[in-house]
Amino acid sequence: MKDTSPEILILGGGVAGMSAALALSHRDILVHLVEKTDRLGGNAASWACMATEVCQNCGACLSQEMADLIKKTASITTHLNTEIKTLERSDQGMTAVLSGGQTIFASKAIIATGFSPFDAARIPSYHSDASERIVTTAELNTLIREDRLSDMLGDSPKIAFLQCVGSRDRKAGRDYCSQVCCKVSMRHAKKLRHLMPDADISLFYMDLQIMGKEARSAARDLAGEISLIQGVPAEIAAQKNTGKLTMVTEDPATLARKSMDFDLVVLSVGMVPPEKSQETFETLGMSPNPWGFFNTDTADPGPDVVVAGCAKSPKDILGARQEGQIAAATVLKALNLTDDSNTGIAVLGDGPDAAAIAATVSAQGYPSYLFGRGEDLAPGIEDLSAARMLSVDGTVGNFSIFHEINGRKTTLNCGAIISAPAPETLAHTKSVQGTVSLANYAKMPPADTPDNAVILLDYFGPETKAAARQALTAAKAARDAGKTVTIVMNKMLVHGPTGQQLYDRARKAGVCFLRYGDPEDVTITSGDKGFVITMQETTLPGHTLAVDAKALVVPDAIAASPMFSELSRLLHLGLDMEGFMQPANVRHRLVQSQRSGIFFAGPCHDDIDADDLNLEIQAILAALETGPLENGGNVSINEKKCAKCLTCYRVCPHGAIILNEKSRPQIESAACFACQACVSNCPAYAIESSGMANAELADQAEKGRTLVLACERSAALAAGTVSDGLPDNTNLVSIPCACRISTDMILKALINGAQRVIISGCHDGNCRSGEGPAIAAESVARVAHLPGMEKGRVSWQPAAANEPVLFSRIVSTP
Amino acid sequence: MTTLHMNKDSELARFLNKLGKGDNIAECLTCGACNSRCTWFDGQGGPMPRQMVRMAALGLDDQLIKSGMLWDCLICNRCTEVCPMGITMDVVVRKARSLAGADDQIPVDVKKGIENRLELGDVNGLTKEDFVETVEWVSEEFVDEVEDDGAEIPYDRAGSKFLYLPNPRELGINLLHLTAMAKLFYATGETWTMSSSHTDVTNWGYFVGKDDIAQRMALMVVEPAEALNIETLVLSECGHGYHVLKHILPQVIGREPKFTVMSIPELVVEYAKKGVLKFDPSVHPYKIAYHDPCNIARKSGGYDAPRQLLSLCCDGVVELNPSREDGVCCGGGGGILQDSTSKEKRMITGRPKADQMKATGLAHIATACLSCHRQLGEISTHFELGMKVDTVASLASACLILNK
Ligand code: SF4
Ligand code: SF4
Ligand code: SF4
Ligand code: SF4
Ligand code: SF4
Repeated sequence: MKDTSPEILILGGGVAGMSAALALSHRDILVHLVEKTDRLGGNAASWACMATEVCQNCGACLSQEMADLIKKTASITTHLNTEIKTLERSDQGMTAVLSGGQTIFASKAIIATGFSPFDAARIPSYHSDASERIVTTAELNTLIREDRLSDMLGDSPKIAFLQCVGSRDRKAGRDYCSQVCCKVSMRHAKKLRHLMPDADISLFYMDLQIMGKEARSAARDLAGEISLIQGVPAEIAAQKNTGKLTMVTEDPATLARKSMDFDLVVLSVGMVPPEKSQETFETLGMSPNPWGFFNTDTADPGPDVVVAGCAKSPKDILGARQEGQIAAATVLKALNLTDDSNTGIAVLGDGPDAAAIAATVSAQGYPSYLFGRGEDLAPGIEDLSAARMLSVDGTVGNFSIFHEINGRKTTLNCGAIISAPAPETLAHTKSVQGTVSLANYAKMPPADTPDNAVILLDYFGPETKAAARQALTAAKAARDAGKTVTIVMNKMLVHGPTGQQLYDRARKAGVCFLRYGDPEDVTITSGDKGFVITMQETTLPGHTLAVDAKALVVPDAIAASPMFSELSRLLHLGLDMEGFMQPANVRHRLVQSQRSGIFFAGPCHDDIDADDLNLEIQAILAALETGPLENGGNVSINEKKCAKCLTCYRVCPHGAIILNEKSRPQIESAACFACQACVSNCPAYAIESSGMANAELADQAEKGRTLVLACERSAALAAGTVSDGLPDNTNLVSIPCACRISTDMILKALINGAQRVIISGCHDGNCRSGEGPAIAAESVARVAHLPGMEKGRVSWQPAAANEPVLFSRIVSTP
Repeated sequence: MTTLHMNKDSELARFLNKLGKGDNIAECLTCGACNSRCTWFDGQGGPMPRQMVRMAALGLDDQLIKSGMLWDCLICNRCTEVCPMGITMDVVVRKARSLAGADDQIPVDVKKGIENRLELGDVNGLTKEDFVETVEWVSEEFVDEVEDDGAEIPYDRAGSKFLYLPNPRELGINLLHLTAMAKLFYATGETWTMSSSHTDVTNWGYFVGKDDIAQRMALMVVEPAEALNIETLVLSECGHGYHVLKHILPQVIGREPKFTVMSIPELVVEYAKKGVLKFDPSVHPYKIAYHDPCNIARKSGGYDAPRQLLSLCCDGVVELNPSREDGVCCGGGGGILQDSTSKEKRMITGRPKADQMKATGLAHIATACLSCHRQLGEISTHFELGMKVDTVASLASACLILNK
């Protein structure tokens, strides 16, 4: 095909496909997005918002927003209700005939055909068709979206979640962990407790996959709120007369079986390749692995095809979005369309991860600067380990890092920054003398490992993916070399496509696994002959089990390092709830930040293993290649009006305003997210945008009517999908962000005669600009508390893009 | 609370953890699926399947024996039907039962039965002379019944097509059943025989998990059958007999037998399909529930023949809920029915079955195993279900249309 206008075929209009399409559109590449259903968004589009008082970072709402953006993007042609009829591949490209008859010539294809939820009917013992109260996670989403739960269940239902339905099952040929269902169920449990505070919830799990910052905080919040029970019942009996759902479980208290009755059982179904995907792959001449995915060496997509998202392997929404972007960058690279103006990248942080990141970006042709200590630095990396950073200014493409080196102050200019400091390693194990670090154990030749070793996981600190994998790999190798190895754990994290197989193989090889419920159930004593670990084993209630060990192997526990807060201060970017870098905001996860061009990678911001880190670096480079996830806007400062008060400079949540050489504030459009916080805050009304000015917004109010100011990436999108439309007396005005709101504006709207003013935007924690919900809530509260203000006349009501039913209720409830 | 010491070199752990994929219990994921599926449901007492697997895997042999779970387990495999690792509970439990330390837990009646069988060839102690006497006497009755002087119940007739292997009860308290079976053979028009050197479809060596005994007992059937040079060994309706002699026979005796094996319902269905055997369903003008014997159904895959046969002989077959792979054991499996002191326990293990039976609202139920048949009968009486219990083959025999 012609080099000048390559066209890309994307199969699948779910999160990964949309993300790839949008990323390519930033570079004006023509995209054909082929989707077999009648709407974009994939599975995520039918999921409910999980927000409680705060966003739970599931990412489902993003799918609505992406679908909306695609509709507005001219370079993307969407083919709904369409499949590929035939496809011919040649060196010049591919010719695809669509089911509608149209022929497309494409240079490359991205396969993002996604997944299907496992069909629970395939496990007959659940009797999922015997009662409408046995639902899958997908069906629960519908019940939540449609606000039908309390009608169905009353105020204080007993609800059970059953994990691993259709996953981690070797007999069924699905010996993989679907990776997301534990997280999904934890979120669901929180959401249900939010909707029905008296709900009594039990979550039955095999190994709770508490991976990543979102899951960690969910697990923490749930402790004490719901019952977390190890061991998953495999049979449900629906009682004809009472409608109750009965399951038998082991009762550790009485050491016997007991039956438990529930009002709702949620089957946490895993991910399987979509129906008919085999046929699709045949048409495309691609061969997936026996599971139907493209995540192992046995799968072969072919050279002109990139696979992304859940078609590759089960993953969450944010992971799928990230892979879509990476796929787009991969395609650009294959077509030699990469941007050659490789900007310098500064990597901040000590430790092996930062050094590895610097090495990778340098190998990709980016000048790379390492502010941190690393061993054996690859050539081409500028070693700035001796530098002390003093300040970081500028915006994407043009950062300046002011630093002191050997007593000399100087500035480094670079285009992008990757923050990757190493976490602290905790010496918790002090309390027990003579332990071996897991990292060292894993480095020993298996034959030289101690004869009778116990690897203790999750005890001195939370288990990480990397430690779990290291433990499994090393234990199996030692076992294969004839050693006795026991892994004592609370749960086994089976991360990644082959995590479950690795765990299965280790057990088959004879590595012994013991499970404890709570660290308090484990006692360690050491003597001259080694250690004795005495424990209450979860599967053997009522007994104490003693295990002797010559060596006790323990992974290093990690904790937030002071460097995190230091960098957070320098970069003007917040920390998460555990003091690690990067708040869990889905708008910027996985690797981006509220500031364009500043990224996070490695364990400073998440539970990251080597595979993840590799993806993170690819994602960062992809973001630099294809531009930011979201588009900047048309906001500028009218110098004539500007009073140089620098309010805008201070309030800009994205660090997009710099002081230019005349010491005037100036908006750098590449870094601007067009949130218009500056517009609403500028006391001189000097900041102009293509949108409405403050007064104009207030003027949208009309006498006797309700004015709804709705954030364009949440509430306004929800408004667009309200099924029977909004009440007649509503004026809906789309605003760029809840932070666009000011007390002033609300008052003006009231003066203009609005009967009610509703501000609706993202849930707290979901705002792309961070503080929008807080700003809106505060502005509303100030007005609402004015003397004489009737209750309910002004209100702040968050609603996500996927909450049309909620939004409709907000505007219709007087 | 006792402190247990793991010993992965224990006799049991060594055996079970060494087996290949599927029976390698070290592979247990501790998923807990099995715990929710035990036939005991929430009944008082009984086994915790996951605990049994874990104790065995971790080499806690003594603890497992002491737990008393081994002989409460009905080795019905209802639990491990759902096991994601394909671990089979009956293998685990039977192996554990076979440990020397567990010998004194073997029910007295089972011990006695095994002695009888090994010494006399029959669990009830029926001698060869008793056999001949009984069969000849039943044969005379049979001639009257079919009104054909040429009819007979033959025994030791070499070269016959079929060799019928009865349940011991057919030569004891349930002689009518033998006549009923004879009628079916007679109607096939094929040559058939019984054998005076074996009277017994049962194999209690299987219950006690002792492979050597199970093998000896199986050979007591196989060798005389081979000596008679028959084509097909036809098993009386017996669950574990079917499992041992049909499903796992080569494993038990270490070789392939020189004949094929089928159960009497399977034989009858085959001849019905050929049009040789015909039935009059109006003799049983009612719907009937069918109970899957675990050993025939879940453990050996024999789901269809009994159902097909029943549908020819009654007004329709009704499934218990759940059934087939998920079917509930009658509560008498694994050797406990053979223990005359087990009645009280069996009415605990039988309650889930009773609930199922009651839920059908029917007055009739059939099964394809004489042990299940007995247990179901006792359940029906104990729980006052008023359900009549039959075996599939006897119902077939009762409505067989004989061409005179
Ligand atoms: S606001 Fe979006 S990301 Fe947050 S919980 Fe709702 S759907 Fe998920
Ligand atoms: S362990 Fe894996 S497969 Fe099972 S529910 Fe959790 S995430 Fe899903
Ligand atoms: S619109 Fe928002 S991101 Fe852009 S300069 Fe103003 S405050 Fe900053
Ligand atoms: S009785 Fe049946 S279900 Fe229960 S443990 Fe034994 S084999 Fe499993
Ligand atoms: S079902 Fe199988 S894997 Fe799961 S706990 Fe029971 S024996 Fe172990």
